[in-house]
Amino acid sequence: MSTETIIWLIPLPPLLAFFLIVLFTNKGKALSHSIAIGAAALSWLGSMVVFFRAVGVEHFGKEVFQSSINWLPTGDTWLKIGVLIDPLSAITLFFVAWTVLMIFIYSVGYHNYGQPKGDHDRPGLPPHGATTVDEHGHKHTVPSIEPMYSRFFAFIGLFAFGMFTLVVSDNLLTMFVGWEIMGLCSYLLIGFWYGKPSARNAAIKAFMTTRIGDVFMLLGISFLYSATGTLSYREIFTERVLSVLASTATPILGLSAAGLIGLLLFIGTVGKSAQWPLHVWLPDAMEGPTPVSAMIHAATMVSAGVYAVIRMFPLITADFTGHGLTTTMSIIAFIGAFTALFAATIAVAQNDIKRVLAYSTISQLGFMIAALGIGAYVAAIFHLVTHAFFKALLFLGSGSVIHGMEHGVLHTGDHSIDPQNMFNMGGLRKKMPITFWTFLIGGFALSGFPVLTAGFWSKDEILADAFANGHMAVFITLAVAAFLTAFYTMRQITLTFLGTPRTKSAEHAQETPWTMTLPLVILSVFAIGFGWVGIPEEFPLLGGLLPNWLHEFVGGTLAEHPEILPFNIMPLLTSLIVALGGLLVGWLVYRNVKSVEEDKLQIKVLMNKYYFDEIYDFLFVKPAYWFAETFAYKFLDQTIIDGFLNSIGGVAQGVGRAFRKYFDAPVVNGFGDLVGESAKRIGKTMAPIIQRGRIQFYMLASLAVAIIVAVLYYFLLA
Amino acid sequence: MSIPLSWYLILSAALFSIGLFGVLARKNAVAILLGIELMLNAVNINLVAFWRYGSGSIAGQVFAIIVFAVAAAEVAVGLALIISVYRRRTTVIADELDLLKW
Amino acid sequence: MDFISYHMLTTILLFPVLAAVIILFLPRDEIKVIRWAAFFASLIPFALSVWLWLRFDSNAAGFQFTEQYPWYQAINSSFFVGVDGLSMTMVLLTTLLTPLAILASFKITDRVKAFMMLFLMLETGMLGVFLSLDLLIFFVFWEIGLVPMYFLINQWGSANRNYASMKFMIYTMAGSLGLLLAIQMIGVSFGTYNLPELFKLWPVASELKNIPLGLPIETVKAVAFWAFVIAFAIKVPVWPFHTWLPDAHTEAPTAGSMILAGVLLKLGAYGFLRLVLPLYPAQAQQYAGALAFLAVMAIVFGAFAAYGQTDFKRLVAYSSINHMGFVLLGIAAAARAMGTMNATFALNGAILQMFNHGLSAAGMFFLVGVVYERTHTRNLDELGGLFPLAPVYGGILIFTSMASLGLPGLNGFVSEFLVVRGSFPILTVYTVIAMIGLLFTGAYILKGIKKVLHGPLNEHWVGHMTEINTREIVVMVPLMALILVIGIWPAWILEVINKAVTMLF
Repeated sequence: MSTETIIWLIPLPPLLAFFLIVLFTNKGKALSHSIAIGAAALSWLGSMVVFFRAVGVEHFGKEVFQSSINWLPTGDTWLKIGVLIDPLSAITLFFVAWTVLMIFIYSVGYHNYGQPKGDHDRPGLPPHGATTVDEHGHKHTVPSIEPMYSRFFAFIGLFAFGMFTLVVSDNLLTMFVGWEIMGLCSYLLIGFWYGKPSARNAAIKAFMTTRIGDVFMLLGISFLYSATGTLSYREIFTERVLSVLASTATPILGLSAAGLIGLLLFIGTVGKSAQWPLHVWLPDAMEGPTPVSAMIHAATMVSAGVYAVIRMFPLITADFTGHGLTTTMSIIAFIGAFTALFAATIAVAQNDIKRVLAYSTISQLGFMIAALGIGAYVAAIFHLVTHAFFKALLFLGSGSVIHGMEHGVLHTGDHSIDPQNMFNMGGLRKKMPITFWTFLIGGFALSGFPVLTAGFWSKDEILADAFANGHMAVFITLAVAAFLTAFYTMRQITLTFLGTPRTKSAEHAQETPWTMTLPLVILSVFAIGFGWVGIPEEFPLLGGLLPNWLHEFVGGTLAEHPEILPFNIMPLLTSLIVALGGLLVGWLVYRNVKSVEEDKLQIKVLMNKYYFDEIYDFLFVKPAYWFAETFAYKFLDQTIIDGFLNSIGGVAQGVGRAFRKYFDAPVVNGFGDLVGESAKRIGKTMAPIIQRGRIQFYMLASLAVAIIVAVLYYFLLA
Repeated sequence: MSIPLSWYLILSAALFSIGLFGVLARKNAVAILLGIELMLNAVNINLVAFWRYGSGSIAGQVFAIIVFAVAAAEVAVGLALIISVYRRRTTVIADELDLLKW
Repeated sequence: MDFISYHMLTTILLFPVLAAVIILFLPRDEIKVIRWAAFFASLIPFALSVWLWLRFDSNAAGFQFTEQYPWYQAINSSFFVGVDGLSMTMVLLTTLLTPLAILASFKITDRVKAFMMLFLMLETGMLGVFLSLDLLIFFVFWEIGLVPMYFLINQWGSANRNYASMKFMIYTMAGSLGLLLAIQMIGVSFGTYNLPELFKLWPVASELKNIPLGLPIETVKAVAFWAFVIAFAIKVPVWPFHTWLPDAHTEAPTAGSMILAGVLLKLGAYGFLRLVLPLYPAQAQQYAGALAFLAVMAIVFGAFAAYGQTDFKRLVAYSSINHMGFVLLGIAAAARAMGTMNATFALNGAILQMFNHGLSAAGMFFLVGVVYERTHTRNLDELGGLFPLAPVYGGILIFTSMASLGLPGLNGFVSEFLVVRGSFPILTVYTVIAMIGLLFTGAYILKGIKKVLHGPLNEHWVGHMTEINTREIVVMVPLMALILVIGIWPAWILEVINKAVTMLF
């Protein structure tokens, strides 16, 4: 089968799975998950085939896999859509396929396939456990199967479809289609347990916040389309088109067209990748089941945001001459670096195991965005890929921990314990060894543990790039953020796994089934090994042992291969210090912390996320609602417009009534009545005079009249 | 002879006026009828006078005879009406027969 | 057969009335017979219009399948009908929605005969507007469509139906007054009401023949332009002439709302496209900014007002205002820059949005009706948590809502994207403001879903909220299928529209 055909087919199996499950196999749990996993496996297979074929092509980047068809008729031409695999999308396809497949497999165990139905479970609420009786007659409460099991697989199938569509697209329009479909799926999945008010609100918050970004993105796409007449990447990223865009001025902020479009598209990413100031949805998105968090926040959705910026890199840097960042790039770099530090500070004070990871994600995405802002193309891609692996690993690992804790909670029957609160955990390394080791690998990768973890290589490259190009503000911010990253990661690991269990539920925690631990193991392999494809050539000792394949391969996406920067020991030292230092400090501080009261970093401002949610609620949400309900509807529509119309109606009625009362009745009717009345009166008064019944009088009268008439006739008319 | 036409006409007019006066001013219904008769006869004199002093067409005489017949019929009917009224109301005074009033 | 194929349009146009007359003679008590008779009778124009669609040559300029019969020869007005790409889509929409609406009203048990008759007469009225190529016939059918709708709302509507139906009828008629005067003026000036001829004569007219008004022709044209615009603006509806719509839609019976939102609103937009733009190109260009302003107000205020509603049906009604705002935005952009590629985009988007909105609005109103029939309330605060009770209904509601929201992959996105793409270069600031409306579209849709499906389960409904039944699914399936097909592969309809647009403007 030709590569192009395979590429077209890659997004389809999960979509098909979605339709099949929704329409037909909703009742059958095993059938549904088999269809879903089968579909993910097919897409994975297709992706691997395409990836390895791509890797085998010399100078891939100049040559690509591409195919397009006519889609929208526009005047005399057509807008074409199609598929494109160049180095960037090839490597994205690689990690997306792996992480998606792992998450699908994991979900089987996460939603307790094989477990009995819950006692009080109902669709819309998380499962609460089923009481079983074992052979000795003892009652046990065990985790119960998710009531909406099949629906979950349908939704993540649709989600996978959206992401694959986005990755294989060759144009902005279908990328946007995939983008928004993922937005829909994030809404559906974050609000999966719609019976919980917090989940409902989180889902809406996610959708609306990302939609703000999407709206700007749509404007950017329209602008780009109208300025260039095409939305296809290969057609836009040509020398000619880019220079035209770079030299057209716009009235906004002194940006060129390229800069403005880049900025508009970037705002879409700010929403989708939860950068400040549109970061507020991501932590709340933890309301969804953990595989969803992994999917959204590691494998797919937020990565899509970064992917979009990476994809539009030539456009953003169209007017970048190499000396001094353009306005757009500065904005991007600022937001990235700021978010990285901002989120890291919040993560330090979070107690929910998933929230720490959520803020960590925001922070790491900030790293990637900052890298792009300063022009470190390969570094950003590197970090995107490694992050996807280790973050997915961490999220799935946290899900495993929560599952184990829930087991313990059900066992002890103490439902006041929040299984997600790290201060209720402790010592889980003994109860859940596989989870522990994989989580440790993931955490170390996140922190940038030297050499052995992928995170080190990618993060180091970003710092090296920032340092080498003289962006000191960015360098220092990211370095501090990296320190905090290592710190809070070690805090998390220490509180969760090390030490002794702090609650009874933690004591009774159990390792999770193979469907959940196998993906963890596979992902940890990548979390360790993937870094080694990108070792810089000049790295001390290790450089040169393996070629910097990543730089070669991915760099080929751009028209000109990005230059390899000369090696500098400073950023390397900084990386080592912040990573190892952060880990050490974190361990030292937290290894003896027994409860939340002893944690000195529980600072209110940090715990409340700098009160951004409250600020936004006050500034935007409430006024919007007021505007909607009171102003637009009650005031404008009902009072003013309808009031005006109803008053016209009232006026018309009043005029009619007045007309009737003052003209019709008295004048017209009255006149008629007057005539009749006067005739009557005359008659009445005349009657006694004239009509006496005396015939002689009548005769006399007629004689008189006859004489008068005769006289008149004779004198006047004759 | 040399009696001019106008004398007959004046006579006829005088008679007619007397009759008219009778009709209008007499109280007794029978007297009113008498007045009507006088008027009719005055008309007759008028008609015959014009015949005698006119072109010779026989119409005047013929008309006079018709008037006779009509007068006779009308008197008969009139008297019959008066008698009928008298029987109901025991009066023949015209002023008292005012049922046709408002 | 030959007779029909030569008189295809008249057949499609008058068949519903004929069916209504036949239904008149059916016994009043045979409700089932009446319903099915009406349904099958409405399927025939649909089949014929599909035939028409397949035979339609989208590459040929001008009107096809034309028929002209003498009508009012003294003033040179004839019964002239014909289709081009624009009217073809609208005819297809009308004949598609009517059977679905009739199928949706199978629950009505009160005076079914009168209801079905009125419905079929309404169909003729609507089709007449789309098919007519004579100004006077256009006006006749324009007004005729009002009467059955008035009675449908007035007799089979909800609590506030008297006010709503009266407002609807009087308001629309008031707008038509100016239209009638302007039509008469045009007809008398040129001695003909024939549209194709007037398209050539009126825009370049430099003096008013036969009418001694003493005003310069430009003033007269401007006044006539506004007369036309106001009549159509009330129908579309354009802010601020929109307030009849929430009342009318909310109080109408389900099928009435489906047709009202699905087709009747398009009559106004069609009027803009068929009459205003070709007859008044200069005035349209001059006042395009004002039109765009009103369009953006409709988009933004419609979205906000929808967001602030507590009545589900009224929320959907305001969503109609929001979506039709996009149509008008596209039209205004095209008016400003007639003939350019951007205008083509905008018009393609506007016309496709007309078709798409017909589908999704009809679907949404029907789904509201489904809930209302079971729970007898439309109050969002009283409904809640219906998803577990009726999951299939919930899935269908989410699907249709997403179409209404403009989710890519479904039809709404294609048309909204085209409109935004088209109007962005022409009316940049307005387009940017319209994005606020787009943002809040998401807000109100999600609010609707949350309150109806997700909200805390109101135990009251357990046992009362039954799942959606087969008949109702049959009503929704064609709509959903079309929504999906147009979202994924819009070329089949967009080609026709595109060619028509490039040839007309």
